[in-house]
Amino acid sequence: MAILRVLVADDEPVSRTVVGAMLKKAGYEISFASDGQQAWQQLAAPQPPAIALLDWEMPGLAGPEVVERIRARGEQAPTYVILLTSRDSSADIVAGLKAGANDYVTKPANEDELIARVNVGARVVELQTALAERVRSLEEALANVKALQTLLPMCAYCKSIRNDQNYWEKVETYFHDHSGVSFSHSYCPTCYERFVKPQLDALEEITEAQRRQKGR
Amino acid sequence: MMAPALDTAVIESLRQLTPPGEPDVLKEVLQLFLDDVPGRIERLRTAWQGGNAVEVQRAAHSLKGSAGNIGAHALHAICHQLDELGRSGDLAEAEDLVPALAAEYARVEAEILLLIG
Repeated sequence: MAILRVLVADDEPVSRTVVGAMLKKAGYEISFASDGQQAWQQLAAPQPPAIALLDWEMPGLAGPEVVERIRARGEQAPTYVILLTSRDSSADIVAGLKAGANDYVTKPANEDELIARVNVGARVVELQTALAERVRSLEEALANVKALQTLLPMCAYCKSIRNDQNYWEKVETYFHDHSGVSFSHSYCPTCYERFVKPQLDALEEITEAQRRQKGR
Repeated sequence: MMAPALDTAVIESLRQLTPPGEPDVLKEVLQLFLDDVPGRIERLRTAWQGGNAVEVQRAAHSLKGSAGNIGAHALHAICHQLDELGRSGDLAEAEDLVPALAAEYARVEAEILLLIG
């Protein structure tokens, strides 16, 4: 399992440090943000943290607003978000989850519970990453299949196929490149009778003639 | 005899957070508390004097978070009340709570100083 990076965003330094130390002890890599704006900067970066623990009440941008922004990006493997809140009323929790948070933890965080919830997040993130990778490779395969469905220009005599770069390729090469199909060469019974058998017969005649010549 | 200002179980669990060979997490957290909290208490007092309930709520809320994390339960309870009063916008009842906050902070500070030496 790769080491996942967790963002801890909280304007209150004591909580931030304690939560960070808990996660570090559990083997996670940590980055910190001391307000919502800083949190958003990290989350909008090209390689965002896999999991984010966001304080509900932060100056600048509050936790739920940051979540809404993440969700609005509509990524295939978005950051898993846990809201940290000292408000334990169910209305606030529902609002946070509605905004798009995956989970919530009430402050002060209990170490075992926090780590258990972050571990759940890590499992979801890994699953999502694997799925996104699978979707990507399936899309690639589909693109190749589509290329085979189009009208292929083929030479009426030698059966070569003209590829996208305007080169004539052997049919074997073209299909191998566009579908991964490989050909093993053989002959059908009709072609055997028409092409192979006369050649074998001719060969036999030559051998026979040579033998007779030697025997003389 | 008053209960200790800091919960020993919480302090012990903070002590256990230090990875081998790294600086003491407990000391770091308690030092942060001492560096950060007095300023916030001051902000709360100023906001209360100015009748600014929103600012009282904000300061009380973050103080509550800090207090909770180091197991300062009595301080946490006072902050919780101030948080609620600030939210309701009615600061009249905060009259006794603001001095109580300062007194409880002094107790917490004394225990922290004993711990970090």
